[in-house]
Amino acid sequence: MDFFNSHVLTLTTFLPLLTAVAIMFTPNLAISRWVAMGGSAVTFLFSLHVWYYFDAQTPGLQFVEEYSWIPSFGIKYIMGVDGLNLLLFILTTFLTPLILLSVWHIEGSKQKAFLSLFMFLECGMLGSLVAFDMVFFYIFWEAMLIPMYFMIGIWGGKNRIDATTKFIIYTVVGSLFMLAAAIVLYLLHYQKTGTYSTNILDLYTTAPLYETQLWLFGAFALAFAIKVPLFPFHTWLPDAHTEAPTAGSVILAGVLLKLGTYGLLRFAIPLFPEAVATYAPIIVSLGVIGIIYGALTAWMQKDAKKLVAYSSVSHLGFVVIGSFALVAGGNQISVEALTGAVYQMINHGISTGALFFLVGIIYERRHTRMLADFGGLAKVMPWFAFMLIIATLSSVGLPGTGGFVGEFLILLGTFQSSPIAGITASLGVLLGAVYMLHLCRKILFGPLDKKENQELQDLSPREFAYLTPLAILAVLMGIYPNLFLDKIRPSVEHLAQNYKQYRLVAAEQPAKDIENVASSEQSAESAGE
Amino acid sequence: MNFSFPTVTLDFYISALPVLILCLGAISAMLQSVFKKVGSETAVFGLQIVILIGALLAALLAPNSVETAYLSGNYLTGLITQFGQVTLLVIAIIISILFKDTWLKAKFFRGEISSLYQMVISGMLVMVSSEDLITLFVGLELSSIGLYALLGYTDPTRKSQEGAIKYFVLGSFATALLMFGFGLLYSATGTMRLSEIVELVPKMADHNWVQLGALFAMVGLGFKLALAPFHLWAPDAYEAAPTGITALMATSVKVMIILVAMRIFGGGLSSIYEVWMPALMFLAVISMIAGNVMALVQNSLKRMLAYSSIAHSGYMAVAICAIGNLGGEFPYAAVLYYLIGYAIISIGSFGILMWLENDQNDNITLDNLSGMASKHPKACFALAVFMFAFAGMPPTVGFISKFFVFNAALKANLVSLVVIGIIGSSISLYYYLRVIVRMFMSEPVKVAAPLAPKNSVIVSLVVGVAVILVVLLGTVLPGPVMDHLISTSLEIARN
Repeated sequence: MDFFNSHVLTLTTFLPLLTAVAIMFTPNLAISRWVAMGGSAVTFLFSLHVWYYFDAQTPGLQFVEEYSWIPSFGIKYIMGVDGLNLLLFILTTFLTPLILLSVWHIEGSKQKAFLSLFMFLECGMLGSLVAFDMVFFYIFWEAMLIPMYFMIGIWGGKNRIDATTKFIIYTVVGSLFMLAAAIVLYLLHYQKTGTYSTNILDLYTTAPLYETQLWLFGAFALAFAIKVPLFPFHTWLPDAHTEAPTAGSVILAGVLLKLGTYGLLRFAIPLFPEAVATYAPIIVSLGVIGIIYGALTAWMQKDAKKLVAYSSVSHLGFVVIGSFALVAGGNQISVEALTGAVYQMINHGISTGALFFLVGIIYERRHTRMLADFGGLAKVMPWFAFMLIIATLSSVGLPGTGGFVGEFLILLGTFQSSPIAGITASLGVLLGAVYMLHLCRKILFGPLDKKENQELQDLSPREFAYLTPLAILAVLMGIYPNLFLDKIRPSVEHLAQNYKQYRLVAAEQPAKDIENVASSEQSAESAGE
Repeated sequence: MNFSFPTVTLDFYISALPVLILCLGAISAMLQSVFKKVGSETAVFGLQIVILIGALLAALLAPNSVETAYLSGNYLTGLITQFGQVTLLVIAIIISILFKDTWLKAKFFRGEISSLYQMVISGMLVMVSSEDLITLFVGLELSSIGLYALLGYTDPTRKSQEGAIKYFVLGSFATALLMFGFGLLYSATGTMRLSEIVELVPKMADHNWVQLGALFAMVGLGFKLALAPFHLWAPDAYEAAPTGITALMATSVKVMIILVAMRIFGGGLSSIYEVWMPALMFLAVISMIAGNVMALVQNSLKRMLAYSSIAHSGYMAVAICAIGNLGGEFPYAAVLYYLIGYAIISIGSFGILMWLENDQNDNITLDNLSGMASKHPKACFALAVFMFAFAGMPPTVGFISKFFVFNAALKANLVSLVVIGIIGSSISLYYYLRVIVRMFMSEPVKVAAPLAPKNSVIVSLVVGVAVILVVLLGTVLPGPVMDHLISTSLEIARN
């Protein structure tokens, strides 16, 4: 048990990889399905172990594993969980078996490769969530793109190749600049302390000069903003979502996008606290624009999947403004908003994941996603209607669903920080209700006038099996949020506390000290020229 | 300069054994064409493999603990030399095994070609194990002249003469420039030895001639390395050559020139790096941009890889700039790591191309690859791994080696080069991915001569090992390999 406890993160992260390799060697599709399901189920159980033994009182890292990896560069293999990544970690392991269940019926010679890629993707996501070494993180962060690239490119719709190429190039360009910035930070850390380290916790203490921070934060924020995606870097997302197969869309909305907002919380904010104060107004403005723009665009969509895709742009705007809600003259981060942001990440993963599943279900039956082709489905598919309404309500943030808790906390913090942003964002909540109910009305209600729609089958037991856990969770997160908030709060408070502390020190620090660092950096630069 | 006959000791013969074995092999292979009946169909080929393996063993076992100079610096032993020799010989062995079929087609010239091949390799070995400018030049010529001939002569059925002539004319021009540069260095310093030049240059009151010599030498090496704007021969020569020779040009020649450039610029001329570094930076920038942009529009895979190799030369040039600026062992180790990774990826991809080729079609285009994944999933998987590795995506060696190079460059404050490198990498992603798109995501295109490769144990083995190494060097192995390379680099690193 000791061994298990001290290696549980490694086991959880790499079990999907092992499963992926095992799937390649299975003789037929039936067996590979069971292997995939078995692997992902055990992964989920492992992650529940982490959840169960996670000490909610400790703000720091838990289940830490640390080994030397490239000693000459100080690069290490470090894994750990805290309140920021624990829930996302479990969300990933939770969604994977459900998605595997949703593709259970798909036949074909390529399906085995799909399952294998999917498990590979799970490994990438889990790894980038728990990695606490910059280079180690980056490897997972980029490796994760490869399976997603193939999933959209091979199993996608008509414009899949354009969509998938756009997806990977956008993301990689951002990430490469982040890589360069990370190397600069690593070298600055070396200048300051004399030791090479890419451990994120060590890099937190680097605190580069203000001007340097502006550049480095820009590079990091660009990488994560593209991933989120923050307006105006969102253009790859609707394409990728529309062309991706259902399973791909679910995991893209469910986890991949959250890695962007998680990256902002884990890297951009604590690494460059001074730059945060400067950039926060810009980022919050972009977030608010994203909320409104995403909502309006979603409202205009004729394609159900595109509608849900644009709703993601809008919802993630909330997460972003929640992460950058500075109060007390920019010297503190609002703990409420930050908690709400983390909570909303999970909630969005569940509600939007369910929405993509549901759109996929009607697409499979009718081979169209156009809203105009549906209407009155509530009469022939009552259970489908029930699930869609739960997902919709959770997505619009009705009290009693998880969406309410997340959005409420975010707006609470945002109002304290900037009333204008708060008011505009609240308008986004309203618009959210408009376009989501528009979706429901078009699909579920109205006259059942299309002949094809009159013979539609309601949910099959398999579809029930993967929708029910999501529906239960969406409600549970609304009526008993403390189950989750308790795990998040200490780490979030810790993050906010560190930020506050840093600002205090920076304000009081004698100018001399900063000058020293400045002159040493300048001399290093002049040596280069 | 001392013109008395140098004393040759037994130690020298032992450490020069790899070169001597290859020369012996080259001469005996040549005899096959004289006594045609003596050499059977495959005996010469077998002999070539035995000779190469013998040379490899000799290189591995050669004493290397201390860097020793024999014949007043004409022949060196030591870790860097051993690294170069072993790498070159391993590449040579793998390529000759992969190349066997094409090679056996050349019925009448078999002996000569085997002989030329071994001479090329021995010239390369000399090149990486000398610090004397004249010997470097002899080694370069030995390998280059052999390559010109191999390119045009190996497969009489293909139209490779045009590329060979182009390579020959531009290559000799480059060699002349290099010679001129070496001549200027000699006339300014009065010595041919790099280890003496490095001490003399800082003491000189006026080193204009040394500067001029350095620039000429850089142009000459830049030609051989296919750095833009001296790259014009590369795509034509790559396309014209039989693919095995292309692989040799893409890998061995790069290893050889980079090691020599490290010795000349990192060692001998390091004190005047202010002069040559801007020039090399310029070449690196142009190569990274031009190589990647030109590769975007290529349809032939060999041409695409030629342009991509220009871009990769640019990345290595960035690391050499870092050596000049920074010193220390890290940038050296970064270049060596990049070289290893690049060689493995190249051999793997060219191996797949060679496997796909046949008599009707020896210039694979993207159309040939369309929809290939359903027919040859394993080969496509391997090629996809190599393409991701070329593009520098984790978890492959391509990412880690790019990380090391960027790290060295940023440490040397070459921020602009890194930014250009990033832009180049982003561009390159598009054309590497295009190969994958065609293989996995497109429908087959009707082509005149469809490919029907046969299963081959050797190709599977080579490609399989390359895939495994590409992944391992990107995940598990960087730590120990980098430690080893750093201790290797300590030998030539100045502090």
